[in-house]
Amino acid sequence: MKHLSDQELMAIVQAGEFSPASEIYDRYSSRIYNFAYRFLKNSEAAEDATQEVFVKMLRHANQFHGDAKLSTWLFSITANWCRDYLRKADNKAKEAEDVLVTLPAPAEHSPERNLERRENERRIQKALGALTPEQREAILLSRYQGLSYAEIAQISGCSEGAVKTRVFRAMETLKKALAVDAGGGDRCLNAMS
Amino acid sequence: MSECDVMREGMPLLLTESLDPVRRELTHSHIERCPACGDEWNGLRETWRLMGELPKVEVPASIKERVLEAVGQPRPQVATVVPLFRRVVLRRLAEAAALVVLVGGSYYAGHRTRPVELQPTQATINSVAPARYSIAESRVFPADLVSPTIEGRPDIENVSFIDTNPNDDAIGLSFDITSHVTVTGRPTDKSMVRLLRYMLENHETMSPSRSKAIDWVRATYSRPGNADPEIAEALGNVLRNDAHQNVRIKAADTLKHMGASAASDTREILVEALKNDPNPAVRIKAVEALANLARSGVQLDSATIDTLRQKAVQNSENVYVRVKAAEVLSSVHQ
Repeated sequence: MKHLSDQELMAIVQAGEFSPASEIYDRYSSRIYNFAYRFLKNSEAAEDATQEVFVKMLRHANQFHGDAKLSTWLFSITANWCRDYLRKADNKAKEAEDVLVTLPAPAEHSPERNLERRENERRIQKALGALTPEQREAILLSRYQGLSYAEIAQISGCSEGAVKTRVFRAMETLKKALAVDAGGGDRCLNAMS
Repeated sequence: MSECDVMREGMPLLLTESLDPVRRELTHSHIERCPACGDEWNGLRETWRLMGELPKVEVPASIKERVLEAVGQPRPQVATVVPLFRRVVLRRLAEAAALVVLVGGSYYAGHRTRPVELQPTQATINSVAPARYSIAESRVFPADLVSPTIEGRPDIENVSFIDTNPNDDAIGLSFDITSHVTVTGRPTDKSMVRLLRYMLENHETMSPSRSKAIDWVRATYSRPGNADPEIAEALGNVLRNDAHQNVRIKAADTLKHMGASAASDTREILVEALKNDPNPAVRIKAVEALANLARSGVQLDSATIDTLRQKAVQNSENVYVRVKAAEVLSSVHQ
C-alpha cells in the first residue's frame, strides 16, 4: 500500500474495501492528533477526535472528491470536530486541564536545554490558549501543518482574506504574550490559572 | 490602511515564504527603510522561531487499534489481551466461571470482610458454581446480586459510566469481561465500590482511560453522602503510582473534593505527593486537599505539619504551594 498515492488509497476505500485504512492512518494520524491536541489542550479529547475523524473519513469516503488533497479534507473533519467540542459548554471548563502536560525532550540535549525547551513549551501552549479558537485554528494549520492560506480557508469555511487577518492577529497576540511571559514570574502557576 | 499596516499584514506570509516575488521584494525594501516595521519583523520572526520549539506529541498506539476495529480491519499488532485458555471447551468454562466471579448471587452482597487483593497474575478460577444468568448476551445486573470478588486481573474493556438520571441515586457501570456486563446500583453499594476500585487500580487492563474513570468518580463520589474510604484509598494509590501526571493531578483533585471522612485515610499519600511529586500541579492539588482536610476539622499529625512548614519556606517551591502550605499552618495554629 505504501507506494499508492492518497487518491489511489481513497479510491480503494470508496469501492468499499477498508484495507488501506492502516496506511492512511499511518500517514496522517500524527498530524491530526497533534493539531487536535494543540487546539483543544486536552489529550483525551485529542484521542477521541483522532479516532472519530479516521472512522468518519473511512465510513464517508464517498464524500471525498479527488480534486482536493486528502490532508485538507481530514483537517476539515478534525477542525469541525474540535469546534463542536469547544461549543459544548462542559468542555470549555476542561480546556485548561492539560496545560501542564510534559513531553519527553530529545535525549541528546543538556538538562539546561531540556529545561528551557520545556519552559518554552509551556509558554507557547499558554500563549496559544490566549488566542480565539479561529485564530488558534489558523495559526496551528499555518505554522505547524504548513498549509497554505487557500487550504486553511477551505478548512475553516472562510475567505483567504479572513485567514490572512486571523494569522496576522494571532501572530501579534503571540508576539506580545511570549515577549511578556519571557519576563519571568511563576509560570507554572500562570499555566494553571 | 497605511503602507506599514499593509506590509505588516503580509509579514506572516513572508515567514512561510509564500508571498509572491513582487510583494516579497516590496516588503523587504519597506522593512529596510522603516525602523518600526523592522522591529515588528524581527519580533515576528523570533516568535515564529520560538513557536517551532513546541514538540510533536506522540499518538497513543491504542487509537489505531480502535480505528481499525471500528471498520472491521485486523488489529495492527498481536492482541494485548492474553486468552485464558486455548481450547474452546476450557475457554467456555473460563467464561462461565469468570462471570460467576462477578455474578455469585446475593450471598456475597454486602459481606465485605477484607479489601480486594489484586495479584499480578492471570485470572484464575477456583471453582465453578451454577450461574444464574446466561453469558451468551449482554445482561444487566443489579449490584446487590453481584459478588464483587475479582480474582486475578481479568481484562475489563469498553467501560462506560452511567448516570441516566442525576436526580436519583442510581448509577451504572457497563463493561466487557468475556461478555458484556452492566452492573447497576447505588454509589454506596459495596459491589459498585469494589468494581470501581478495581478499574481505578488496574488501568492497564481497562479501556477507555483511567482519567475518564476518575472524572466520573469525582462527579459521583463528591456528592454528599457518597464519599467512600475505599474509593479514596484507590485514588490514593493512583496518586502514588500513576506515571501520567494528568492522571495524578485528577486523582489529587478528586480527593480534594471528597468528604473529609474519605480523604483523611489518604492523608499520608497526600503528604507524600506534596513532598515528592515532581509535578507542581500535583503538589498544588495535594496541598489544597490537605487544606480542605484542615478546614473540615481533621487533626493533622506532626509529620504533616512538618512537611507543610518545610514547604512554606522552601524557596525553590512553587509560590502557590508555599502560600497554601502557610495558609494551612495558620489555620491549624488558630
